[in-house]
Amino acid sequence: MCPALAAAREARYDDAPSLAREAAVGCLGLLVLGLVGYGATLGFHVGNLHNGLLAVSFAGVGLYVLRARPGHRIGQLFVGLGVASAVMYFGRQYGLHTPSLPGSEWLAWLSIWPVPLSMAVAGVGVMVFPTGQHLSQRWRVVAYAMVGLAMLIALASALWPIEDDWARADLTFPFRTGGENTAQSIVAPLMAVSYAGFQVLWAAAVVTRLRRAGRDEVRQLRWFVSAVAVPTLLLVGGAIAWQTPLPGLLTLWLIPVAAGVAIVRYRLYDIDPVINKTLVIGAMVLLIFVGYVAVVVGVGALLPLSDGVLALAATTAVAVAFEPVRRRAQRLADRLVYGARATPYETLSRLSAQLNHSDDSLLDGLAATIAGGLRASDVVVWVGETDWMRAVSAWPSAPSDAGRPLAELGDGRDLVRPVRYDGRVRGALVLRRASRDPLAPAEEQLLADLVAQAGLVIDHRARLEQVARQATELQAAARRIVTAQDSARRRLERDLHDGAQQRLVTLGLELGALVERARAAGSVDLVQRVEESRRQLLDATAELREIARGVHPAALTQDGLEAALANMTDRSPVPVRLQVTLDRRLPAEIEATAYFLVSEALTNSARHAQAESVDVTVTLDSGRLMVAVTDDGIGGAQSEPGGGLQGLADRLSALGAPLDLVSPPGSGTTVRTVLACE
Amino acid sequence: MILADDAVLLREGLTRILADSGFDVLGQAGDGTALVDLVRDSAPDVAIIDLRMPPDFGSEGIDAATRIRAIAPQVGLMLLSQHLEVHHALRLMTEFDRGVGYLLKDRVSDLAAFVADVRRVAGGDVVLDSELVHRLVARRRQQDPLDRLSEREREVLALMAQGLTNAGLSAELHVSLKTVEGHVHSIFTKLDLDADQRSHRRVLAVLRFLRS
Repeated sequence: MCPALAAAREARYDDAPSLAREAAVGCLGLLVLGLVGYGATLGFHVGNLHNGLLAVSFAGVGLYVLRARPGHRIGQLFVGLGVASAVMYFGRQYGLHTPSLPGSEWLAWLSIWPVPLSMAVAGVGVMVFPTGQHLSQRWRVVAYAMVGLAMLIALASALWPIEDDWARADLTFPFRTGGENTAQSIVAPLMAVSYAGFQVLWAAAVVTRLRRAGRDEVRQLRWFVSAVAVPTLLLVGGAIAWQTPLPGLLTLWLIPVAAGVAIVRYRLYDIDPVINKTLVIGAMVLLIFVGYVAVVVGVGALLPLSDGVLALAATTAVAVAFEPVRRRAQRLADRLVYGARATPYETLSRLSAQLNHSDDSLLDGLAATIAGGLRASDVVVWVGETDWMRAVSAWPSAPSDAGRPLAELGDGRDLVRPVRYDGRVRGALVLRRASRDPLAPAEEQLLADLVAQAGLVIDHRARLEQVARQATELQAAARRIVTAQDSARRRLERDLHDGAQQRLVTLGLELGALVERARAAGSVDLVQRVEESRRQLLDATAELREIARGVHPAALTQDGLEAALANMTDRSPVPVRLQVTLDRRLPAEIEATAYFLVSEALTNSARHAQAESVDVTVTLDSGRLMVAVTDDGIGGAQSEPGGGLQGLADRLSALGAPLDLVSPPGSGTTVRTVLACE
Repeated sequence: MILADDAVLLREGLTRILADSGFDVLGQAGDGTALVDLVRDSAPDVAIIDLRMPPDFGSEGIDAATRIRAIAPQVGLMLLSQHLEVHHALRLMTEFDRGVGYLLKDRVSDLAAFVADVRRVAGGDVVLDSELVHRLVARRRQQDPLDRLSEREREVLALMAQGLTNAGLSAELHVSLKTVEGHVHSIFTKLDLDADQRSHRRVLAVLRFLRS
């Protein structure tokens, strides 16, 4: 995924609110709670209860939306309605208080005249839910007309006591303006018709939206539609049957709550992670509070302990319980909010976590992630070209090993999505879903994202496989080179032995015979000269013998590593303790490599390390030959380009073995390797 | 005597020169099997054997020597090699209790010494190449028990390791047999070795000691 895309996606799925926004949301919430809470202490009035309920529900849902999505139309409308309802509730509670409180008329007035306005605004909120946009230009005009009409009625209601509440409740209009009866006779019928009309309008808007909505939106609206239907029916029915709107008013809070449920449950506005954290934090606050109270009050009542001890015990108990409870609360919150389904964000972030594993579990993780994200009962990942693919991974079962072309993947009810990368089909995803419903648009989008990710994963895997294959081939080639080099050295030594060395020995024999003959002939001069030639010849053969041994010691081939090492250490100018634990012959290239390692290390110890003694240990243990040469010299040895140790390292790496050189200055040198012999 | 070597040129040359030195060369062989057959048929006093022969160019010479010792115990066995290996020497000293020799091939160019060594082996003595022994005696050790020996004793030890008997030592060093016996006793005591008088055991003990 390119970084810009990742950033955009992250912003869409989860952005933490800024501190200022948190503060503003908190202040508004406190304001509403304060008004409603204080109002509630002033008495209980059924006729005013709906205002309190509306205040808390609208403000709660609105603030929740605004907190995550500032500037969202629905959030703003809901918060506005919540605050207005809180003011109205408080005003009415204040006005109804007995004995009457100072300025109660004015506050009662404040609680009554905005009713038509708040109804109209609530209507707009319902009409634009959930998108915040009007259905069409025509609906917008209708909504403006509704608000305009409501403003007129509110103005009249503010000037004259037209609303039924003035008559029904024990309230006094704060001032007299005259023309009261005229206004009443004109505005009261208008008010009744408007209120009914407003409700019809919302219902019509919601039904229209429902009919025009796509599948995803229908599901989100289902709750909301029921919530709108109930108070509407009750308002109309109540007005006709019992001459009171009260039952309808008392169920109005269902609308904001249903909106809230739709937002949370269907992740409207993509803000579900926020509620999740809120739930967890709420649970934790509850735990600390309850735990503390339980210990201090409960235990305090049973045992005669000092407050300090109790507080300490309570703190300890809460601290110990905190993490397990937090984890459980997180899981519960996850389940409440997400259900079994992961959010697109979770799914994609889970996938990118999987990408960090670079083995075959990558594709298993991909299959499991897709299954979790799209509620699939079965997911199979296929890799290959259009004409032939094989199943490489599956969830929940293991993949079958049969291969087939893309066209034959899945049966009728499976979803098959070819995976492309670099414009080429690289594989396919086959999903079997629990329900037969087609995918919702959001799920379709998620699947498309996952298929794109799968392309990356499959390409990544193919590259890894290619690199591994090339590495294996390279290793095999290097090993073949070493083996070929060894056998060339062996052949050269054999050729020297059978050819040049035999001839030189024969020549020495002839010279020896010549010396005898010259001596018999009494030619002292000749004896001396031939004898000198013979000595030089012996020196030459000795040199040649050493060269042959360096090329490839005959003992290594014939008698094995232990004999060859023993011979080497017999010749070493530095005393050597040799320990060989071997119960069988090893492959020629292993023996030769171990031999040359000891040879090189011994040469270095003798030449450069000023060592007093050297330990050579060769041990065969469960198919691994460990070779270590340790001296007590001056240390500081380094592998230099073109040097013997570098050549040794190359030879070892051809056999897949490391060259371990430990040589701190002043503390001796250890050269070590482990060769796999199987 | 009989010669076995896969290098024809060297074999022919040796045959001629040894014949000149008074040996009766009964036959030549190119490998171990032919050699054993030849020995069975002609019953020589001594066989000169290349250590490395066909088919595998390993230690076929020692294998052939073992078979010869089994069918004709009195035959002396002189093994020649391009390389001197301690483990070969140890194997020879372990498997044969008398009449065995192990020399570098180059030694054939010093005819007089070589002939003397062949005769010693034919006579039942043990002969080891001096270079091999000197390599071991000259080896540096961390705590060298050879330091306990005097210069003369070290000289005696090296000769002893080459297979010389007390009489041989006496002749080589131009000292009396009694003096030699004194040195040998002193060496074996200082090195904590078993002073067996049979030559091969003595050589074996010394070799093992030197290698340890």
